[in-house]
Amino acid sequence: MAQPSSLIHFSGHQHLRSRLVLSILSGKHVRIDKIRSEDKNPGLRDYEINLLRLLEKFTNGTIIEISVTGTAILLKPGVILGGTLQHDCSLSRAIGYFLEPIIMLAPFAKKPTSITLKGITTDEHDLSADILRTVTLPHLQLFGISQGLELRIKRRGAAPGGGGEVQFLCPIVKQVKTINFVDPGKIKRIRGVAHAVRVNPQFSNRMIEAARSILNRYIPDIYLYSDVYKGEESGKSPGYALTLLAESTTSAIYCSEAISEPGVAPEDIGLKATRALLAEIEKGGCVDQKHQTLILLMMVLGSEDVGRCRMGEPTSKTIQFLRDIRTFFATSFKIVPADPSDPSCTQLTYSCYGTGYVNANRTLA
Amino acid sequence: LASSKEKKKNWIKLIYSTSLSPEEIVYGKKEEDEDQNGNDDDDFFQVKPKAVEDTEALDAGKEAIHPETLKKWEDEDMLESIRHLFITGGDGP
Repeated sequence: MAQPSSLIHFSGHQHLRSRLVLSILSGKHVRIDKIRSEDKNPGLRDYEINLLRLLEKFTNGTIIEISVTGTAILLKPGVILGGTLQHDCSLSRAIGYFLEPIIMLAPFAKKPTSITLKGITTDEHDLSADILRTVTLPHLQLFGISQGLELRIKRRGAAPGGGGEVQFLCPIVKQVKTINFVDPGKIKRIRGVAHAVRVNPQFSNRMIEAARSILNRYIPDIYLYSDVYKGEESGKSPGYALTLLAESTTSAIYCSEAISEPGVAPEDIGLKATRALLAEIEKGGCVDQKHQTLILLMMVLGSEDVGRCRMGEPTSKTIQFLRDIRTFFATSFKIVPADPSDPSCTQLTYSCYGTGYVNANRTLA
Repeated sequence: LASSKEKKKNWIKLIYSTSLSPEEIVYGKKEEDEDQNGNDDDDFFQVKPKAVEDTEALDAGKEAIHPETLKKWEDEDMLESIRHLFITGGDGP
């Protein structure tokens, strides 16, 4: 058993979020240095500081020390608190950047979470509020986190002005279930949300028309919803986006998203999202690339049994995450071709023995 | 068949027992790096290869969509090739 005060050391600004999450979950102290130390503008960015503040609020007793130059931090994690919170997210990143770590922590909090985040709801780098609501949360349900799990998009806010607002509700669990998800099934329905704020509301319909022109050939069960937000609810900046998801008979979900770009017609945004969805579908597996890390984390935290999941090849982010998991939890995954008889199949089966992580923060009622 | 097996990456080994960076694993290690080290032999000073780290690389949830990779989906045959993944698509190719 590692000593609770054992210090884990990393360098560089990359993978900051997952390292902070792993540190808080495992209770191990972490020191990250050389954060952009060679850069003209060294140290932590404003959104990273903002995230640290959010994590400080979300926990109790966490000590965060930032060096004078901002190129090194020391995190001594406290107890995951949860409860009702409000937070103004930095406008340099979308709400997804801040909510992703919260989603990983909230099930293991002391109290059920009800957090209101304000900022940008959709941008080109982070998971949008729509993906988080329609794709990320159903992934948590695989692990038995479901009762009262909800994300409400109260206001939308496009970059750069923001003005969006979401509320995330998450129950607490004692332990997460072990999954055995190796059958991707076949796609039975396609859903989508198009939204357009502070621009011509017809843009939503134009994106939907374009998406349908490709998707109609596959299956009849397609429902693309045009989500209308008006006045105050539509944030401070103009923008529009199309989020698509395809669900299989075994509840595997693939998703894609394209957002407005200057000088590009809404039809082309619609087509871009659609083709990106087809690319995800072609890659196959039970979990799409954007959610690999979330699934792997929950597998490690699962009960002391072998969990299995079929996914595509790991992304570079996932590879580092697997290494970091081993550093924090001493658990490594077995990764083998999902279908050894088919040499063209690039899908892999990831399996690991769960650590039997128990939510010790939970208040016993 | 043996060659196709060799081509397949041994992910466990790559991830847990090498010091390759995640990017090198995903995109394959570039041979050019090795060449450069060879050429430096006659120099008295050797420039220590600095780990190139993109300071602006974002810790992002979505990976950017490359327009080139989507080009193939303009092709009718390509669109048909994934029909077997849908419930309406029969048993496969």
